[in-house]
Amino acid sequence: MTGRVIVITSGKGGVGKTTTSANIGTALAKAGNKVVLIDTDIGLRNLDLLLGLENRIVYTIVDVVEERCKLKQALVKDKKNPNLSLLAAAQTRDKTSVSQEQLKDICDQLKKKYDFILVDCPAGIEQGFQNAVAGASEAIVVTTPEMSAVRDADRIIGLLEAKEEIESYKLLLNRVRPNLIESNDMMSVEDVVEILSAELIGVIPEDTGIITSTNKGEPIVNDETSLAGQAYRNVAKRIMGEDVPFLDLTQPKGFMAKIKNLFTKLKGKV
Amino acid sequence: MKDLFANLYNKVLSFFHQSENKDRESAKDVACNRLKLVLMQDRTNLSPAIMDRMRNELIDLLSKYLELDKELLDLNFEQEDEQMALMLSIPVIRAKEESEILALLEAEEAGVNEEEVDEDEESDEDDNSDDVQEEKEETDESEENASDTPDEEEPENDSEEEEEK
Repeated sequence: MTGRVIVITSGKGGVGKTTTSANIGTALAKAGNKVVLIDTDIGLRNLDLLLGLENRIVYTIVDVVEERCKLKQALVKDKKNPNLSLLAAAQTRDKTSVSQEQLKDICDQLKKKYDFILVDCPAGIEQGFQNAVAGASEAIVVTTPEMSAVRDADRIIGLLEAKEEIESYKLLLNRVRPNLIESNDMMSVEDVVEILSAELIGVIPEDTGIITSTNKGEPIVNDETSLAGQAYRNVAKRIMGEDVPFLDLTQPKGFMAKIKNLFTKLKGKV
Repeated sequence: MKDLFANLYNKVLSFFHQSENKDRESAKDVACNRLKLVLMQDRTNLSPAIMDRMRNELIDLLSKYLELDKELLDLNFEQEDEQMALMLSIPVIRAKEESEILALLEAEEAGVNEEEVDEDEESDEDDNSDDVQEEKEETDESEENASDTPDEEEPENDSEEEEEK
C-alpha cells in the first residue's frame, strides 16, 4: 500500500497547525485509517502534549535519523486509538538535526504501512519548513481571518507552488468568529478564499473548548457535542474524499432579527 | 421588567450605532484592501534596482517614437481580478514626426553596426535582465498598456503644452 503524506503548514505561528494536526489525525484514525503524526518542530515540540502522550515518549525523530533506535520503536501509540501513532520531535536539539533527505526517507518508509502520514510543520519558512515539506505530496495551509496570518499563508502558498513534489494544497480557515464577521469587523471566509484564491478544505469556528481540550490532552474531535470538533471531523471526511457541506456557523439570531427576517419574507411574498 | 427595559435600551442604542457605522468603511473592508495591496507588493519580487532598469529601458524604447515627460512616468503593479497587471502611465508631450522617427532609427541601425564589436561584452548582462522580466508573464501586458496610455493622454497633454506657450 502507499499512504498519503500530508504536511500541515502555515508560515505564521499560533494559528493552530498543531491543534489541526492532532485533530485531523485523531479523526482519520477514528474513521478506521492507520495514521502516523510526525512532529517536525524540533526544539519546540508540542504535538505530544495535545495528544496527552508526553509521558510516553522514549525515542524521537532525531534518535531515528541518528540510528539510536528503529523507526518502529520511536512510534508511540495513542492511548485510546491503536490506529494512531506519534513520531515525536526532539526537545533538546534544533532544526538542523534532521535533513530533507532523512525526512523524505522516513515518510517513504511509513507510506508502506500506513494510510495517512500527517507532518506537523514548524512556523517559518526556513529549514524546518523545507524539512517538513520534503516528504509530502499534499499540503494543508492553516490560516485565520487575520491580516498577518493571511499574508504569511500567501507566502507559503507561493513556496508550495514552486515545489514539484507538492501535487495539491488546500486551505483550512481556523478560529473563525461568525459574530465578528456578521458585524463586518472581521474578514469573511469568502474574503480570505478570494484573496488567496485557494481551495477550501475546512472552516473551524473559534471554540473555547479547544483550550480545555488542550489542557486535558484530549483532541476536541473526541467531543461529539463540540462545533469545532464537528468541523474537524468534516475536514477528515473531505480528506478521505467525501463531499461534506461546510457547517453553517451563523449564530442563532436574536428576537429582533427574527422579526426583521419575518418582515422581509412577508415583503417578498407580497 | 427592569431587564426588559435594559434590553430594549441596548437594542435602540445598537441600532443607532449600526447606522453610524454604515457611513464609515468597515474594519473588514479596510483589512481586505490593505491586504490586497500588500500582497501585490509581496508577489512582485522584483528589486527596486531591476524595476528602475525596466523603467529606463522602456523610456529608451518609447522615446524613439514619442517625446515623453520622463519625470512623471509612472510604473507599478496592480491587481486586476485574478491577474496581476503592470500599469504604465506615460505623459506624452508630443508624438514625433514620422520622418524624425525614421531618421533616428536609421541612425541607430548604422550606429549598431559600428558598435557591434564593443557591445558584445555587455550583451551577457542584457540577457540576465531579460530572464528576470520573462519570469513575469504579465510584463507582456505592459506593452499593451504602454501603447494604450499614450493615445488616451495625448490630447490632454497637448492642450497643456499650448496653454503654457
